This record gives sequence, structure tokens and C-alpha cells, in this order.
Amino acid sequence: MSTHLLAAEGSGFQSPGPGDFEFPPIFGEGTFVTKPMLIIVLMTLVVAVFFYLSARRAAAVPGRLQFVGENVYGFVRNQIAVDAIGREGLRFVPYLATLFVFIVALNISGIIPFLQFPATSRIAIPLFLAVISWVIYNFVGIRRQGLVGYFRNMMFPSGIPWPVYILLSPIELVSTVLIRPLTLTLRLTFNMFAGHLVLLLFVLGGEFLVFEKGGVVGIAAGSVSLLGSIVLTFFEGFVQILQAYVFVLLTALYIGGALVEEH
Amino acid sequence: MSSEAPDDSGRGAQTDAWGALSLVVSGVLVWGGVGWLLSAWLGNPVFVAVGLVLGMGAALYLVWLRYGRPEPGSTPEPPAGGRTQ
Repeated sequence: MSTHLLAAEGSGFQSPGPGDFEFPPIFGEGTFVTKPMLIIVLMTLVVAVFFYLSARRAAAVPGRLQFVGENVYGFVRNQIAVDAIGREGLRFVPYLATLFVFIVALNISGIIPFLQFPATSRIAIPLFLAVISWVIYNFVGIRRQGLVGYFRNMMFPSGIPWPVYILLSPIELVSTVLIRPLTLTLRLTFNMFAGHLVLLLFVLGGEFLVFEKGGVVGIAAGSVSLLGSIVLTFFEGFVQILQAYVFVLLTALYIGGALVEEH
Repeated sequence: MSSEAPDDSGRGAQTDAWGALSLVVSGVLVWGGVGWLLSAWLGNPVFVAVGLVLGMGAALYLVWLRYGRPEPGSTPEPPAGGRTQ
């Protein structure tokens, strides 16, 4: 964080921007191993260890970790999978729960001290997760309804005069094939991007006002900004969990829609 | 939306609403895009506006069709004044 401050010294305050999402390589040349990537590796390990430990000694009277694990899994199972897909959704709970915990972990890394960067604000990660969801809902849809039936049900909803299909069918096709994964990706990416940017602005701006600008006004305004950043951090935590929920819920909805046979 | 037994799926309108966004975006993009192409071809900017409005309208109709109307079996033809809840 303070590197930004040093860079800003002497030249006035530099507001945080997209450049704060570009990290230099940690080892050697190239851009392969960067901070976001290390966060992903770390969080993947954390998620794996969390699930392993919470399920390892599954007891009738759950310990604390097992309790948390079971509650997260139960939440995805009951509030997302069964709610959006129906009883058939139970098949997809392992994927949905993993997706949920993984996204929460990558989002929440934005407010964990020392990590302090939501890895999901790099578009490649939500994009790839969206592609996985895209493959799954299209695959189960085609397997359930057949290739022709899947696209027929998707593009030609029943009960409307046929000329209207000219107007509606392209919309459905583009929506399912292109816009759904795109909105999944962009919603998550830019929620995390904007949230991180706002936090940076409050913290760096407050830091600058208190320690650089100084004076009564500077210290007062900077203190308000720094206090506000604490409130915003909690708000960010809420948004980060909410966005993970939305991503998984939409994935479940798309799977549910692909499984429903309309006649 | 669902031809399953009603007790089999607990699908709620609240969760359905999230799925409507991509339809609306898609409608505006598709027909706005067609309008934009027509405008570029014929040199008349009115097609963009018509396309955008048409796409939005069609998408909203589609949202109602997918998420708003009663079970497909009960109303084979959507009534002309189909905006009633």
C-alpha cells in the first residue's frame, strides 16, 4: 500500500486507477507469477484444506470446522440447488458448492490483510469459471433434450404465432450462447474491480490527507476517510459474498432451465 | 417455465428475476445491432433507434413469456392484453 504513497510523494495525490490491478512479476521475467496468481494458488489450497478437514472426521456431533463446512454445503444445497433446479439439483451440489466457496475465497482475499486484492477482479478468472458453467448447462441441456430439442426449446417458446419467432429466436439464442456467460463474467469482475478501487481510494486518500497534506482540515478529512474505509471494508465483505452467491445462483438457474423440457 | 410437477420444484419468482437480465441485454444487442447495420448500410440513423426499441420490447415480451405467464397448458394463446399479472 505504501508504495503508492511513495510514488505519490512530491507530485500530489495520484488517485488509484486500473494500473493498481497490474502487478509486476514476483520471480524473474515475464508476467506469469504475480500476486493475483499467488492468491489463487493460496486460496485453492485453503479451500481444499477447508473441505478436507471439515469432512475428514465427520462425526454425529460436529466440531466447529465440520459445522461450518456442513452449513456452507447445506446452504448451497438448499438455498441454491434445490431452489433453482429442484430435487434434480442435488446432482450439481458438489460443483455449485465448490464454485461458491472458491469464488468467496477469491473475493474475500480483497479484504484479508496482506493479500488485499480480490483475485476475481482479474477478468480471466471469472471468465474461466463462467465458461465452465456454460459448458455444464449446455451439456446437460443437450443431453437431456437432444441437440435439436435443446435449441428448439431454447429458441421457440410455445404458444406464440410463428412470425414472432423471427423477432424472439435470435434474442434467445444470443442470450443463452453469448450473453449469459458474458454477464456472469462482467458482473463478478467489475463488482470486485469497483469495490477494490473504492477501498483503495478511501485508504490511500485518507493516508495522503493525514500524513501528506496535514493541517486541521487534512487530518480531519483524512480521518473520516480512513474510518469510512473500515465501514466500507465490511460492506465489501458483504458484496463479495453476495456476488459469489449471485454467480452460483445464476449457474444453477441456467442448469435448471436447461433441464426443463417444454412441449 | 416448468412443466414438472409443481411440488417437485421450488422455483421462486425472486430467483427467476436474475435470469431475465441476459434476455434484455441480448434483445437490445441483437436488434440494436441489426438496426446499426441497416443504418450504416442505408445511411439513415433512424434504424438504430427503431432496432433498440424493438429489441427492448421483444426482450421484455420474452421475459414475460419465459417467467411471467402461467403454466403453458392453461393458456395456450397469450391474451392480447397480456400484461396482467
